[in-house]
Amino acid sequence: MTYTLDADELSIREINKRLKQLSRTGAEIHIVNSRARHNIIVGLLDRCKITVQGSVGYYSASVSDGPEVIIEGNAGWALGENLMSGTVSVTRDAGASLAAGMRGGSVYVGGSAGARAGISMKGGTLLVRGNTGFLTGFMMQEGRIIVLGDAGESVGDSMYEGTIYVAGNIGSLGSDAKEEEASEDDLIGVWQTLEDHGIDQRPAFKKIVSARRLYHFDSLERLEMSAV
Amino acid sequence: MVMPTSQIFTPWVIDDIHTKADLGRYRLRGFSTFQKVTHFDDLTFLSTGLTRFPLEGYKEKCETRTVIGALNPETPLVLDTPIYISGMSYGALSANAKTALGKAATMVGTASCTGDGGMLQSERDASDKLIYQLLPSRYGFNPSHLIQAQAVEIVVGQGAKPGTGGMLMGVKVLDHIAEMRDLPTGIDQRSPARHPDWLGPDDLAVKIEQLREATDWKVPIHVKLGACRVTDDVKLAAKAGADAIVIDSMVAGTGASPEVLLDHSGIPTVPAIVMAREALRELGLYGKVSLIASGGIRSGADAAKALALGADAVAIGISALVALNCNREIPESDFVSEVGVPAGQCSNCQTGKCPVGIATQNPELTARLDPDEGADRVANFINSMTMEMTLLTRSLGKSNVHSLEPEDLAALTLEASAMAQVPLVGTGKVFGT
Ligand code: SF4
Repeated sequence: MTYTLDADELSIREINKRLKQLSRTGAEIHIVNSRARHNIIVGLLDRCKITVQGSVGYYSASVSDGPEVIIEGNAGWALGENLMSGTVSVTRDAGASLAAGMRGGSVYVGGSAGARAGISMKGGTLLVRGNTGFLTGFMMQEGRIIVLGDAGESVGDSMYEGTIYVAGNIGSLGSDAKEEEASEDDLIGVWQTLEDHGIDQRPAFKKIVSARRLYHFDSLERLEMSAV
Repeated sequence: MVMPTSQIFTPWVIDDIHTKADLGRYRLRGFSTFQKVTHFDDLTFLSTGLTRFPLEGYKEKCETRTVIGALNPETPLVLDTPIYISGMSYGALSANAKTALGKAATMVGTASCTGDGGMLQSERDASDKLIYQLLPSRYGFNPSHLIQAQAVEIVVGQGAKPGTGGMLMGVKVLDHIAEMRDLPTGIDQRSPARHPDWLGPDDLAVKIEQLREATDWKVPIHVKLGACRVTDDVKLAAKAGADAIVIDSMVAGTGASPEVLLDHSGIPTVPAIVMAREALRELGLYGKVSLIASGGIRSGADAAKALALGADAVAIGISALVALNCNREIPESDFVSEVGVPAGQCSNCQTGKCPVGIATQNPELTARLDPDEGADRVANFINSMTMEMTLLTRSLGKSNVHSLEPEDLAALTLEASAMAQVPLVGTGKVFGT
């Protein structure tokens, strides 16, 4: 079944309530007149298909586990925040803190993204077709960030693990981030992701990973050392 | 012959300089600040005389039921006592300690709190009322756990180290902890200080709405602040829509903090409560947005004084651990050889070598803590605190701990008078107004 929710006639609370009810049935849902309101599609824990015709505000498709969300417009801050599984895509641009703390699934941005894309990311794949702002992958822990355009200042600052691939230019590397050569396997994996999103380019990528110099304090007091 | 020694370069200051000269970095410590600051001992209750009459200490009813966060949610947090167990992470603490705390909370009808690093299933199972924390790190944050919570607490700051993120030394980041937090095993974890998805109070308002949507507007959303610029922070948190505000003071506990922040940042609990109360009053939200105080609550007297100053509830951290046998020699322990100091002087939680199985992940050490026995001890302790509170409350002629008020208190020092805004004993004057 396909349902249409008109955001002009419903409060955010009603929209999310209806989405939770409908998602349990595996329904396909269209949201119209979203008008960049915040918190559209929050806390969905079931597999379902949702299309938003219009732009969304902060925290769209966030703290969710399983939905397939397509946003036909722009997204505000923290799109796909703490996503556990499922797919989120936005056809145009996304604001700051894109996919913050994401733990699984995939997030795709057709345009460009703001600062801190993939901040504290803990898993999954983030693909940005355009550019990303400063601190891309800040304190990232796991997962993959793929940027087809340019990435701003301080890419991968303080990242623990995970990998950032940038096809365009890098403003600068962040503290404790380093560039290393992408392997054949790395590239095949990234190109496969591009293909999955209908992108037929096969560009070369800069690969940024943690230099792991911040993993440990340089010195420890006697009692802080591991041996009991 | 006894020679005087420097009051400035005391033996421990000299030792501290030696250690830093060896180490080349700031030092870390667990427990809480070593600074002597104005605290609840500097206040006293003015019990009844001829102006009012007392209630019988052991017999007459004295209400302790506490409702937290009733402003927005469908189901506020209802506790049988105004004392709950504050957020301490699984990682900083052992699974046995977390389970014991959850169990103890259930035994006395109160709540426990997850802390950083995600929800431990055995604590969830043990604790009827579990507060789920959302921290800048977002370690282990899971919407399926979120919807099981009885309240959500957004941590903006921690009293022991305001303005910084959590810290867990590599010795405690074993495989199971690393996996829950999505971190490499064995790293010295220094968590983010800022939330990844919001920065200022306007964003926080949207974040609070998001958490309400995710939890169907059912449970209270708390905001926890390290006590620094309390007046402004409390106003901003309340305006952002918090149902409850937790003020965690500079004397609050920690599993690992830079010593320089423990001892040199934040403000004490007494003025923090007063500032928070006045900030809420100014907004017309005092009594609507719940106020929770934490930091150095060691007894029913401390808790009663916190309530009299304006808190609706208190949260205990270190005291609950002490009830679990922190800093007590037990048959299996040998504090001096294991942590280099006698029981009673330990603040070495950051080393993971806790001789009593609380602040450790080492299986040999965690086995020293039996969660059932530990739960009994913590439950006994909270019951003792609650009884102390009701005894004091009845001696003031009141039948509800929430009827305690500043007027019931006097200050024993000038500083306490100024900070608590109550009269200095023997003068009838409130100083500093
Ligand atoms: S006894 Fe354990 S919990 Fe207590 S201060 Fe020492 S290490 Fe920390």
